Amino acid sequence: MIRRTLAAGALAAIAAFPALAQQPAAPVPGWAVGRPEGSTLAPHAPRLTVTPLDQVPVGAIRLPQGFQAEVFAHGIPGVRSMVEAPNGTIFAGTRAIGRVYAITRNPDGTTRTRVIAQGLSQPNGLVMIGDSLYVLAVNRVLRYDNIEANLDNVPQPVELTAAFGLPTEQQHGGNHHWKFATLGPDGRIYTNIGVNCNVCDTDREVFATLVSFNPDGSDRRIEARGVRNSVGMAHHPVTRELWATNHGRDWVGDDNPQDTLIRVRRIGEDHGFPYCVGNWADPQFNAGRNCSEFAQPAALLGPHVAALGMRFYTGSMFPDAYRNQIFLARRGSWNRARLSGFDVVVAHLDAHGNVTRIEDFLTGLRDDANQRFLDRPADVHVMRDGSLLVSGEQMGAIYRITYRR
Amino acid sequence: MIAARLLAAAILVAALPGVAAAQSAARGAELAAERCASCHGEAGRSRLEDIPSLAGQQAEFITLQMILFREGLRQVPAMMGIAQGLSERDMEDLAAFFAGLAPSPPEDRRIRDPALYERGRALSARMNCGVCHLQDYRGRNQVPRLAAQREEFLARTMAEYRDGRRVGADTQMNGAVFGVSDADLAALAHYLAQRD
Repeated sequence: MIRRTLAAGALAAIAAFPALAQQPAAPVPGWAVGRPEGSTLAPHAPRLTVTPLDQVPVGAIRLPQGFQAEVFAHGIPGVRSMVEAPNGTIFAGTRAIGRVYAITRNPDGTTRTRVIAQGLSQPNGLVMIGDSLYVLAVNRVLRYDNIEANLDNVPQPVELTAAFGLPTEQQHGGNHHWKFATLGPDGRIYTNIGVNCNVCDTDREVFATLVSFNPDGSDRRIEARGVRNSVGMAHHPVTRELWATNHGRDWVGDDNPQDTLIRVRRIGEDHGFPYCVGNWADPQFNAGRNCSEFAQPAALLGPHVAALGMRFYTGSMFPDAYRNQIFLARRGSWNRARLSGFDVVVAHLDAHGNVTRIEDFLTGLRDDANQRFLDRPADVHVMRDGSLLVSGEQMGAIYRITYRR
Repeated sequence: MIAARLLAAAILVAALPGVAAAQSAARGAELAAERCASCHGEAGRSRLEDIPSLAGQQAEFITLQMILFREGLRQVPAMMGIAQGLSERDMEDLAAFFAGLAPSPPEDRRIRDPALYERGRALSARMNCGVCHLQDYRGRNQVPRLAAQREEFLARTMAEYRDGRRVGADTQMNGAVFGVSDADLAALAHYLAQRD
């Protein structure tokens, strides 16, 4: 009797969700594929309350000689992606707390933070085009016109969701649906469509891609395939090539696979997910593919480090050695026995655009002895004065890095 | 000399996190009596359908949910207004109070259905619930306690995650229950509600 009831239930489920027909009843959820028995690794808890200034760990930050760190702004829970508007306002996106912040500088050098949008689902994709702020929140795309002049009276946004037609949270199966976005030198909006699982065979014409659009949402183009999930990208200031950070899958050991820095040399090229990461063949999803078929990463960034926001340094404050080099934030690992990341590194490029080395830049936020972290760098931004902003998502603070000879 | 040592000891005690937590929980108790007890129960043990028990719930989880209510991201009308009227300190004090209460099942917990319980147990093992919620389902940090929670509340919550009507600290739960049938969620809810 019980067996019959179960079978009836399973049939009803298959009828209701045809996509489930190929799957066994109660499959291992996509995020847990490959998880070893007994592991209790889990994502770290976010902090969504305000961290008082005296608890912002700026004093722990270590930088190369000549660089200093200060708190640029604080009391911004969940702060992540940053973009600068024409008059200097920094707009910042978030994930769990659903807010978009505007941070302006007061005449005395202090800052003021306003919440200009809230209640959004993972509004982490921000692009500034002229006076308009574009917010990408999963599949929603909103355009706030003339925003900088109206910070106290935020206009109703123009809804571009249908025009962009990005996959919904449900279509992502709840996985990797948050966006990073950037404005290309060609005036197009570039963003990620992350994979709809931890690791799986997926529709590779939709998921695990980098895509671009005209600002009105038309003319979608796949820039790169086989990119599991990128939450940071930027165009090279000279070659105009698209570069991006990319997260490796979970649950395949502490030291595999690597997060990567990718360089898109040809529109639409394939970077190998789920089959390969560089020359590393996925032990479950390689499907007999030769890893040399795929575009190779420009650099390996470390396993599980969660490489996020990246920018080319185009300012003039830092020494010449940093010019056109890549600063990138590594938010830090959870799917690893010992913590890694929780820092900002520099990828040095030679004249041909090959990465010659990855160098520590901002450290001190990872406490190896106690296996805890003090903050999680999520994005970097080069200000017009050449200083570098680093968002600290865990403590809701933005650090400003300056250089004095 | 002795006085100085005593003074130093007193300062040390005042700085201990345990003392601060006790003060926080005491303040939380007063707030809870005013704002929370009529629905969530006197000792954080709910007698009302669809209202969760909070006794023994993880403090970080409670604070986070209060923020999600305040921001309008978790849309429960009765809670959104309350959250908007609380400071973040209030939320943290309430969380400390509820986290310190001994968890126990609701008085009206249904009788165990052995077959359903076993089915839920097998599902939980297969779906790795205990990875984040831990093997005894007491939860940790942002991951909630599930053991002895109200059954109908657990079933509804999981369906909301599945259907994209509920958000969490991250998207783990949306992925974890994606595509799971109502019948399976019912079995999971029964099993978890029966755990002590």
